[in-house]
Amino acid sequence: MSGKEFFVSRYEELGWKYEDVEPRQAIRINTMNAEEASTIKRLHSLGIELEKISFLKNGYWICRSKFSLGAISEYLLGLYSIQEAAAQIPASLFTKLKDKKVLDACAAPGGKTVQLAELMQNTGVIIALDIKKHRLIALSNQLERCNVKNVIVYHLDARQVSRLGIKFDRILLDVPCSGNFVTDREWFSRRTLEDVQKNASLQREILAETVKVLKNDGEIVYATCSLEPEEDELNIDWAIKNLQLNVKKINCYGEKALTNIFGKQLDNTIENCRRIWPRETQGFFVCKLKKSANAL
Amino acid sequence: MKPINDFISRFNSSVSLDERFIVKKDIRYFLLNENLKRLALRNFFYAGTYLGKIKNGKFFPSFSLLRIISERRANKVIVDDKTAWLFICGRDIFKQGIVKTVGSKRKGDYALILNEHGECLGFGRMLSDFDEEKSDVAIKNISDIGDFLRREKQQA
Repeated sequence: MSGKEFFVSRYEELGWKYEDVEPRQAIRINTMNAEEASTIKRLHSLGIELEKISFLKNGYWICRSKFSLGAISEYLLGLYSIQEAAAQIPASLFTKLKDKKVLDACAAPGGKTVQLAELMQNTGVIIALDIKKHRLIALSNQLERCNVKNVIVYHLDARQVSRLGIKFDRILLDVPCSGNFVTDREWFSRRTLEDVQKNASLQREILAETVKVLKNDGEIVYATCSLEPEEDELNIDWAIKNLQLNVKKINCYGEKALTNIFGKQLDNTIENCRRIWPRETQGFFVCKLKKSANAL
Repeated sequence: MKPINDFISRFNSSVSLDERFIVKKDIRYFLLNENLKRLALRNFFYAGTYLGKIKNGKFFPSFSLLRIISERRANKVIVDDKTAWLFICGRDIFKQGIVKTVGSKRKGDYALILNEHGECLGFGRMLSDFDEEKSDVAIKNISDIGDFLRREKQQA
């Protein structure tokens, strides 16, 4: 089961009419390294036209630029990061990050790790993991470029995180996923439902392992850039039932997630998750989870 | 931590990094803080502030270390926008692009290269005494932040 027709008909069944979307480039100002206004002024003086992203704190759309945004000195000095708009949402959903122990379980290439460090003002500790060693080099470069000082990086599968013997206050699960057609033009010809199910299963394994290292009053933010419900609502429904997690209300861009998937009724609290159909951003799904009282 | 201290001294600078928190991991040095030191296991890949690496007996500084030195008293050369751009593209620095110098102006000394915002772009070696009436290359580029892009290209 694959192909554009197959997936598009699924989206329609879920209530979204397929439309082709051109991805918009976005940046996030690293206020750790310079004041937002001064960075914006510098970029303007280089002829880069920006537009504030209404639903993000330090996010800007790139309207026009004569240069590659990843090759100018302001970028190399860590004054901003190139980060897709929806991808800037997950890290912003945690409460009180300062001085906390935070796990970034699938961290490379590090855009969200840097954002977490900024929100934490370089305090506390971020433990950043990734299973692919070559991606850790990209992550390390990001940390050095952006002047991040509070991260420890391990070459480790998130499914083995208990080995570290650390309990975390906050856990970011930006899990490996099937992606979506906005950021991958070949998506429809490359992906099958079997891929989606395989990824969904891996995501459940990561969820199950990371819950073990979450403090009782801790928070998990779970995010994918997949539009497929197996990786989104259905996984969260599974987590509510099997890992005794609760979905917390969040206030961010996106629509209420779906509580009925292809005729299957899910836990009502799943509407507290956010599903982002592609329009201004890529496709995305995000939610905040906490341990329920009977799990403690 | 002799390699790091020796390197810093080449800028006529002295930075007191707390040696209790400097960790050598294979060929790389990292500066941790108390929190990180308590939690870091021996097999970490990267931790805290990366300071640089030793290769073939020679110390190669990180840009984080250069940034730390640039916040202290040290040999510094401030360059104009055009020269800053050429420098991060790997070029050497000509005398006419220099806006200001701080510290030593002696041939052979190291100097941090800063843009007019005071941000460290890398470092180089002075090729002649600045007081000499020459207008050719003044500073040899040794390392610049354009290296972040070169690393990405190497990985791709």
